Amino acid sequence: MTDPLVSMLLALADDELVLGHRHSEWTGFAPHIEEDVAFSSIAQDEIGHAAAYYSLVAKITGDDPDRLALGREKHEYRNAILCERANGDWGYTLARHWLYDHADALRLEALESSAHEELGPLVTKIRREERYHLLHADTWLKRVSQGPVEGRKRLADSIGIAFEESLGLFEPFEGEQDALSAGWIPVSSSELRQRFVRQVAEKLDALGLPTHMTSHAEEGAEFVASSSGDLIASDNGERSAPSADDGFGGRRGRRTPDFDALWEDMTSMYRTSPGARW
Amino acid sequence: METWEVFRRHGHREPFEHCGTVTASDHEMALLTAKECFLRRREGEHLWVVRRSDIHSFQDESLLEIAADKSYRFNSGYRDVVEKRERAKARAKELASS
Amino acid sequence: MTYEEKLARFNAHIEAGGKVETEDWMPDDYRTGVLKFIEMHANSEIMGAIPEREQVPRAPSLKRKMSLTAKVQDEVGHAQLLYRVAEDLGKSREAMFSDLVNGKSKFHNVFHYPTKHWGDVAIIGWLIDGAALVTQAALLDSSYAPYTRVLKRICSEEQLHLRHGEDISLELASGTESQRAMFQDALTRWWLPIIHFFGPKTNVEKDLLLRWKVKTRTNEDLRQEFLDRYVPKVLELGFTFPAPVPFHDEASGHWLIRDEDIDWQPLDAIKRNEGPETARRLALRKTIYDTHRWVREALAEPAVHAA
Repeated sequence: MTDPLVSMLLALADDELVLGHRHSEWTGFAPHIEEDVAFSSIAQDEIGHAAAYYSLVAKITGDDPDRLALGREKHEYRNAILCERANGDWGYTLARHWLYDHADALRLEALESSAHEELGPLVTKIRREERYHLLHADTWLKRVSQGPVEGRKRLADSIGIAFEESLGLFEPFEGEQDALSAGWIPVSSSELRQRFVRQVAEKLDALGLPTHMTSHAEEGAEFVASSSGDLIASDNGERSAPSADDGFGGRRGRRTPDFDALWEDMTSMYRTSPGARW
Repeated sequence: METWEVFRRHGHREPFEHCGTVTASDHEMALLTAKECFLRRREGEHLWVVRRSDIHSFQDESLLEIAADKSYRFNSGYRDVVEKRERAKARAKELASS
Repeated sequence: MTYEEKLARFNAHIEAGGKVETEDWMPDDYRTGVLKFIEMHANSEIMGAIPEREQVPRAPSLKRKMSLTAKVQDEVGHAQLLYRVAEDLGKSREAMFSDLVNGKSKFHNVFHYPTKHWGDVAIIGWLIDGAALVTQAALLDSSYAPYTRVLKRICSEEQLHLRHGEDISLELASGTESQRAMFQDALTRWWLPIIHFFGPKTNVEKDLLLRWKVKTRTNEDLRQEFLDRYVPKVLELGFTFPAPVPFHDEASGHWLIRDEDIDWQPLDAIKRNEGPETARRLALRKTIYDTHRWVREALAEPAVHAA
């Protein structure tokens, strides 16, 4: 069984790497030049955070950070499905950026008091950049949600699609119980998920965006992200357990076709000469 | 009366630089007084005044910090070029003689 | 004062080494010429982001993934600076972008070619940025002052890109045979486009921008500086040049290429926006431009929807 600390760090690292990779795909192609520059820094930040987490793993296991990032098989990655989804349009990118960075902020807040002596200080450093990510995401959401209808609609639809998959960020990682007992992470994924749902609902309310999220995976399964943090089904009073298709399983190595394409791209050059200097 | 931030530029190659503030009721008076306060020795050839209330900044300037390693954005991140050049030349020689 | 008198005064000002600011009077031909020149430079930066960004997803290490992203980010940043300067001369960014994506304006020849692998990243970062730096540094003394002020920043970032590109090149040169082969392959494909990049011999009599000191040096002069600086560096790493093959002229001490060795035909197609990658890359940009009008509207319009 994988060391629970390694398992936790890989989940963090893979989230950041894969999302950073997706974000970096906008560099040079964003729909607005100033924003192209701004969003590229966020991509670089995420990849940089991934590098820092991989280095911690490498210290524990004696592995190499680049091999961890670019030399593993597809099923060995532990990122949430949300992170690997293709960028789609700017509306989806923005919605995912906003949801991810709010989720990440809660996770990092908890990790800052991790019992692992190197992780806490690292997280403090990372949180400094993440504060800017949050400001960036919140400012954009405010701007688009107060703007013309087309943008509002695209944003609201994208949040609807990305929200459910964003819950996959709080899918317990392998060995989470042990990690909790050891104090590597002081708050459980399910507790973090509740905080997340509560916060997202409050923020969407404040922005005047709908909090009724329609699942894109399960037809008709509509639920409300309530301010209590519970997921309340709005149609029949109960919500079925997440199916394999709606954004869960990433922490256990389930990958979607979106990831396959990303992985082929991301690892292709590394695989030409593994271990070479570049 | 309002506060005006004063900027001046020395020559055409340089950017405008902040050099002080004046108080005035409108931009004409602000320019007039700024000229003598900040350029009376010809410290610049161009002068701007901007209403302070038109200037915005981050409330928390620590947002401007670079937190994680960004050495690749700086020349200092590529200091070992001489060493690397020698290594590459040696590799070329090794291949040429084999 | 009549137009002719203003023109005579403007010419005398330029002749004496004077600079021009946006708000100054300038002849229409000067304004049009400078605008077109800077617009092409801006277009080249934004289109120049594409070849390299194609390799960002494949960067072979975490550090390179970040540094290449940062490098492309800088190029986009240069486009931002340059479009702003151009806009102040009287053409909106919207109009410039629309002309670009619809193939009505131009960008530098080197950005019309495909990239295949990491060797391309090395060549672009080292030799193409090296070539660009030679030409851009020559513009630092241009008569249009707002341009020179942004060029200062652009050149200093290009200096960094050059180091970045040389660093990648040297790693490939020191590496495995397949890594060295990547570099050689890219060099072979890019050499002629790099020579084209400087353009044909300048017609000094006819070049208005040269006369008005918007440009300060001829194409052949810039190409010579590039050859002298980079040819020996590539040769000492054991790589070889395809045609036009540079040779060392003992008498002058320069690295030369013969004009008759340069095949100009591929450049003619590119001038018509018919390079190997022109249509595909413009179409990509156009698709994003057309499908994301709502983003520009959301940014441009005042808040219309109360929360």
